[in-house]
Amino acid sequence: MAVTIDGSAGVTTNTGAVYNSIQTGTAVTASGASVDFTNIPSWVKRITVTMTGISFAAVGVARIRIGAGSLVTTGYAGGLVGVATTPAVSLDSLGASPEGIAGLSASAAGTVVTGQFILINVTGNTWQCTGSVVRNTDTAALNISNGWIALSGTLDRLSLVATTSTFDAGTINILYE
Amino acid sequence: MTHRIVVDVQTGEVTQVEYTAEEQAAYDAAVAAQAEASAETPAETPVEPTEGV
Repeated sequence: MAVTIDGSAGVTTNTGAVYNSIQTGTAVTASGASVDFTNIPSWVKRITVTMTGISFAAVGVARIRIGAGSLVTTGYAGGLVGVATTPAVSLDSLGASPEGIAGLSASAAGTVVTGQFILINVTGNTWQCTGSVVRNTDTAALNISNGWIALSGTLDRLSLVATTSTFDAGTINILYE
Repeated sequence: MTHRIVVDVQTGEVTQVEYTAEEQAAYDAAVAAQAEASAETPAETPVEPTEGV
């Protein structure tokens, strides 16, 4: 038996109630300069971005960006650390161009990236994001990033943007709740 | 011309949207700026490990 609940005004459950609140987006193959997830419901408080086998057509940098009505390209804060096997460490400010709430450091063409980013609504329209990805074809590097931003309105979109390259493979999707 | 993939999470509709001339110009400028910056500074600068941190 199917039961439909209009939760637009909130849903109250008894203590101990079991429910599945996680919604799955549509997995797509990454191509072009960005993959944009739009029409994200206003009640969403947490978004998980999953990436499997994402690669760049040329040397590329990628950023996770969000927006309310349109994608926001500035006003982010945070940092991105890349650790490789040489050993080498790269440090990028997410508040400097190219900005984003999280991201990937410069990756060579053919580099395969897999990982997750988790965005959490802190309060109002302020969002934080943390995530880590591994680059498993060039130097087995690990990228860890943490950023935040206060949007001017309710989040309704999220994008993985290749700021200086294009994607040529891999699958990306979001879970939201 | 560069494009973007747009996914409507509520309907599941997936579309490929070509960049406008304006968007393409901005993208090309970003690529050129990145290439120039990369020529001046390596993308990943090795850092000496610090003990006790």
